[in-house]
Amino acid sequence: MNHEKNIIELKNITVRFDGETVLDNLNLTIRDGEFVTLLGSSGCGKTTTLRIIAGFLEPDEGEVFFDSKNMNGVPAHKREVNTIFQRYALFPHYNVYDNVAYGLKVRHVPKDEIRERVMEMLRLVNLEGFAKRSVAKLSGGQQQRVAIARALVLKPKVLLLDEPLSALDAKLRKDMQVELRNIQQATGITFIFVTHDQEEALSMSDTVVVMNEGRVQQIGAPEDIYNEPQNAFVADFIGESNILDGIMKEDFTAQFSGHTFRCVDRGFAPGEAVDIVVRPEDVDIVKPEDGMLKGTVTSVTFLGVHYEIIVDIGGFKWMIQTTDYAGVGETVGLSIDPDAIHVMKKSKYSGLYGDYSTFSDEMEEMNQMSEELAEEYAEELAAERTEEAGDGAEEAGK
Amino acid sequence: MKNRTFLRRIIGAPYVLWAAIFIVIPLLIVVYYSFTGPDGSFTLDNMKNLSDYGQIFKISILYSIAATVISLILAYPFAYVMSRKKEKTQQIMMVLVMLPMWMSLLILTYSWMNILERQGIINTLLGKLGHAPLNLIGTPAAVIFGMVYNYIPYMILPIYSVMSKIDPSVLEAAEDLGSGSFSKLYRVILPLSMPGVVSGITMVFVPSVSTFYISQKLGDGKILLVGDVIERQIQAQNNYNMGAALSLVLMVLIVLSLALMKLFAGESDENLYV
Repeated sequence: MNHEKNIIELKNITVRFDGETVLDNLNLTIRDGEFVTLLGSSGCGKTTTLRIIAGFLEPDEGEVFFDSKNMNGVPAHKREVNTIFQRYALFPHYNVYDNVAYGLKVRHVPKDEIRERVMEMLRLVNLEGFAKRSVAKLSGGQQQRVAIARALVLKPKVLLLDEPLSALDAKLRKDMQVELRNIQQATGITFIFVTHDQEEALSMSDTVVVMNEGRVQQIGAPEDIYNEPQNAFVADFIGESNILDGIMKEDFTAQFSGHTFRCVDRGFAPGEAVDIVVRPEDVDIVKPEDGMLKGTVTSVTFLGVHYEIIVDIGGFKWMIQTTDYAGVGETVGLSIDPDAIHVMKKSKYSGLYGDYSTFSDEMEEMNQMSEELAEEYAEELAAERTEEAGDGAEEAGK
Repeated sequence: MKNRTFLRRIIGAPYVLWAAIFIVIPLLIVVYYSFTGPDGSFTLDNMKNLSDYGQIFKISILYSIAATVISLILAYPFAYVMSRKKEKTQQIMMVLVMLPMWMSLLILTYSWMNILERQGIINTLLGKLGHAPLNLIGTPAAVIFGMVYNYIPYMILPIYSVMSKIDPSVLEAAEDLGSGSFSKLYRVILPLSMPGVVSGITMVFVPSVSTFYISQKLGDGKILLVGDVIERQIQAQNNYNMGAALSLVLMVLIVLSLALMKLFAGESDENLYV
């Protein structure tokens, strides 16, 4: 393991399916021994990236390097990477032992060595007693472990994991997260982990790669991604964020929501339009007269650890997570510390995210749609009424 | 629970009745005829006379095995390729496979007769090219060809149906773990498609071994299979008893070979549909 060495490099990768660009000039460097997570929602290109590294897919443009060797055109079975598939993809006609032994048998490893290595792997994943079990009779978590053992027994340089935990229930998932992390640290194998779950990404990885629309949005350590998001997309995708339009008056001074705040950011042109991120847990609710901003509480949800309070300030709905209760309809003040304010350059995602009128884009669309449908329906009703009225008039005429 | 079994019996009754009238009773009649003479008295003569037909049984079984093996060799790669195509292409290929099944077997076989005959389409074309006519019709090859042509869809469909159920990621996993094309075929695809192969073999072998029409037309009367002999006994010689005896033996042979297949495939069958 040599953290300075780049084990995988993707250079200018572009992939199109039926004319649609799935990966758009993607560049990514992965260091040896790292736990890297590709994070994004479905369709962002994360799984496609993984398939390119595995060799299941050839990029339309760009180059793939392993250990500085060009891998373009090298088929999957000749690459020194192994994959954990989303639904495990175990061989249904083999038992646990034969599943794990598969890769060694293909490589014609001597029988005794196969037995030794398979049993060692089964010990590693806590499935010692299961060697002769049919894989169909295993639980999801056990199947997962077989898949891990099957890949790791080959001692790959890189392990690719395609949303491997998504089929497990929440608690087992947490255990498996810890376990995967332990296995990664014990073996020193580079893990490339794909997930849409930001919590999973933050808790497991050395490096998180946030992807959207076939492009890398930000690469960094989990803390950096959370504390210093590069644009509105990342800020919204990772954790909860209030994202506001603002103006950078000068270094350390930002203006938004009709108030001027002290902040810790600098390096922007005086008067530059920017996006401001304020995390919900960094806002304090105070008396109206003590607050920097003033607004009305529109909803309160109790979440156990804290309340989630939505406050309307001049039409913009802020989300605030606090242990202090405030009732719906109350007027409250908000107080924000300078280091809770994060300033970002404007991007194509500006204005798309960060208001808490709805929590998801889908809900927003649905709201819009149901409004439109309601209008249509009202029109139809009106039309029917006029028709009926017309019929009535005709009949009366006869 | 008791009520439920009762209900099940009521619902099942018509089918039991159907099976009794149209399957069990005819079978018993066949058995009855096999062991009686033309006058209706019990006799073992029919069974004794069977030894005259040993050669014909042998030929029938050999030809059917040949037809089954050829069908399997042709159908297997076809089914594999078909199962890996795009949905739309799969549908088109499926229609092409099924198309001949929508036409009467009689018409298909007659058409082939026309093509293969001494004055048929192929020989006429060869004649125009100055080539001497070929003996196509009336050869074992023609009969076996006829069987393959008519029954190959029954080989393709079950194999295709099993193959299309193989999870593509399982095949990717095989590649990922180091399998090239051959190793993937031999270690994963073949064992996973065994049930389809078994039912394909059954569905081609059984009608082939009992056919009389194909051998009559494409054998040009020179090749006799069990089916032909049975048909002759019943139609031409009006000897229902001998015909029944031959049928009974054929049936027993088929059941035995099916049982053998099942035994052979029993292991791989178990945990397939995961």
